[in-house]
Amino acid sequence: MRRVVAQARKELTQVMRDRLTLALALVLPLALLALNGTAISLSVTDLPIVVQDLDATASSRSLVEAFRGSLTFRIVELKPDEQPEEALLENRARAAIVIPRGFERDLLRRESTETQVLIDASDANTANVMRGAATAVIQKFSASVSGVAASGLPINLETRLWFNPGRQSDKYIAPSMLAVGLALFPPLLAALAMSREGEQKTIMQVYVSSITAGEYLLGKVAAYFLIALAEWFLSLLLSFAMFGLSVRGDPSALFVCTVAYLFTNVCFGAMVGVRIPNQAAAIQAVQIVGFLLSYLLSGAIFPLSNIPVQIRWISNLIPARYYIDVVRDTLVRGSGWEGLWLTPFILSGIGLFFFLMAWMRIRRMQIEA
Amino acid sequence: MFVELGRWLALFVKELRQIGRNRRLIVMLIIPPTVNLVLFGFALNPTVTNLRLGVVDNSSSAESRELVTAFTESLAFKVTGYYLSESEMSEDLSEGKLNAGIVIPSDYADKRTRGESANIQLLVDAVDSNTATIAAGYAGRIVASLNQTIVASTPRKSPQAAPGGSAQTPSVPPRASRASITPRVALLYNPALLNSWFIVTGLIGALLVLQGSIVAAASMVREKEVGTIEQLLMTPAEAGAIITAKIAPIFLLLTADIGLSLTVARIVFGVPVRGSLLLFVVSGSLCVLSGIGIGTMIATFVNSQQQAQLMSFFVNPPLILLSGAMTPIEAMPQWIQPLTLLNPVRHFGVISRGILLKGTGMDVLYPNFLALLGFCILLVSISAWRFRRQLR
Repeated sequence: MRRVVAQARKELTQVMRDRLTLALALVLPLALLALNGTAISLSVTDLPIVVQDLDATASSRSLVEAFRGSLTFRIVELKPDEQPEEALLENRARAAIVIPRGFERDLLRRESTETQVLIDASDANTANVMRGAATAVIQKFSASVSGVAASGLPINLETRLWFNPGRQSDKYIAPSMLAVGLALFPPLLAALAMSREGEQKTIMQVYVSSITAGEYLLGKVAAYFLIALAEWFLSLLLSFAMFGLSVRGDPSALFVCTVAYLFTNVCFGAMVGVRIPNQAAAIQAVQIVGFLLSYLLSGAIFPLSNIPVQIRWISNLIPARYYIDVVRDTLVRGSGWEGLWLTPFILSGIGLFFFLMAWMRIRRMQIEA
Repeated sequence: MFVELGRWLALFVKELRQIGRNRRLIVMLIIPPTVNLVLFGFALNPTVTNLRLGVVDNSSSAESRELVTAFTESLAFKVTGYYLSESEMSEDLSEGKLNAGIVIPSDYADKRTRGESANIQLLVDAVDSNTATIAAGYAGRIVASLNQTIVASTPRKSPQAAPGGSAQTPSVPPRASRASITPRVALLYNPALLNSWFIVTGLIGALLVLQGSIVAAASMVREKEVGTIEQLLMTPAEAGAIITAKIAPIFLLLTADIGLSLTVARIVFGVPVRGSLLLFVVSGSLCVLSGIGIGTMIATFVNSQQQAQLMSFFVNPPLILLSGAMTPIEAMPQWIQPLTLLNPVRHFGVISRGILLKGTGMDVLYPNFLALLGFCILLVSISAWRFRRQLR
């Protein structure tokens, strides 16, 4: 035990001395969290649209006003001799509304008429949002001119948005970016430390010392676990301050799951570092798994159920996938242990697997050396 | 003049041989862009289908089942559980087992037969705000179309008719048609709403810049690590010749990645090429050059491969995140949006989407092309200047 503590202390001293590593450990995770949390968002507002009003009557103008009043859209000028498609091609507008000739006449005759909505669908998700918003504006306008209040319809749908009524997307993104950041930096530091010993052959000194493989590994893991815990704490404070999150659920669930998650990530880094005794290659390996897979296959930005089944199973092996549920539950939804009691076991199971893989490798190298 | 050209060629051939012998580099040119494009294209998918819907049916009538069927018939929702009370369902909603839930009141069937307006409640888990927005939109359209069929199929009773009286007597004529406006939505350029087309066309630029910066940094730093930079200093060639001879082969190799990524986009995701291929390749090359400029610049600040890689952690994420490659720029905070104009990847994204999806040409895309060209010249000259200073 004393040797484990000594190893951990040596490791921490080494990190404190290296300025690049220290920046990597404490500054970069926060900078990346701030950047990810602000830049990644899908809630579009204020999209520029053009209106071609071929009718130019009181009714058509009030429909245009209805669009002007919508938060999703912002009407920009269409040049007199210009076709609406041109504005879409030139990226000056994302959608175009075309009100046909005879619009008011049809309405007054109580006939049905139509309004054309051209949408630039090269951004599919935004197009889907625009379609929903434009349809809603037109339907509401249609109901108001035909004199039917919404309450007169056979079925009246009341939609309530729970947990995030303002639909702020940073409440969805920020927790997952917290998880992704912790899947990248703690294992990166651990992997660098392990592979440095291999690269510079200082690991030979470890082999000839009295410390056992288990103690050596445990010491390293403990040191980087402490750093990871500090990273987690700082990131959490940042997301409280910047993204208005707070612990709404059971703090004990959050803490226990966090400990398991950080342990798993540090062990993963240690395993990579032991197996790849080359710092540049180890960085790449952690980058691919920690960043790419945790970013893409963990449900960080889009729901997991959208990923094709053929590659979705991979996500079950990625720790971030479980931890994202934890942070969303405890920081946004405010639920407690009920949905999470299995998570610490899964996470520490994956972590122990990595730990054993690293340990076996060191043992074998020690015997060979 | 000829002597100089000869020197330059000698250096160029030396670099080319060096790269050709480096197997790992060749692998790096092929595998990461392919894997990245495929993974990003498949994984970043906001399409909303099969949302888990919970149902509290206090009415349990033919009418309420009709309503539930209308929800499940659209592929957007699937019913995963029936609950006896709203509180029971909201527990599952808060644990994330459900995405949405509907509550049908006990008087739903009665109100429907009486021709009164019935209220139903839709609860949506809005933690994922984007999915919630789209789900609420779907639900609204489902109910609107159900309303239309109900109105069309049942002759509407006049408000004065006694309750229960007119159902059998068709004395009341079908109501005169009401003025209505039908929105006719046309989705241009990507009618199937494939998000992969958006991601892939945006990501190609990011990959070209990243590849350029990684390969350039690696090859520049290697000279430093191995110490051969001293030998380069001793060659009679000028600093400008050294650096261009170094960049040229990397650039030639990386232009192959333009073709590679376009092939992946076409074969795996069916992305069309509607505009000029030449313009695409030229702007792609400018992206590669900007990347090489960034990589060379990183290399002048560091002393080892691993430092170069760690440095790139500071440069690459903002380059990708603030490019609109993965998420729309309009969704970023107002104060960030102008900053994206300083990002070459953003300009290439506009160009690539314009050429591939919209079929636009230089007449429309020239501002972005000029911006890309400007960044390219700027980055390459700064890095050349720093490199030369280092040689002295």
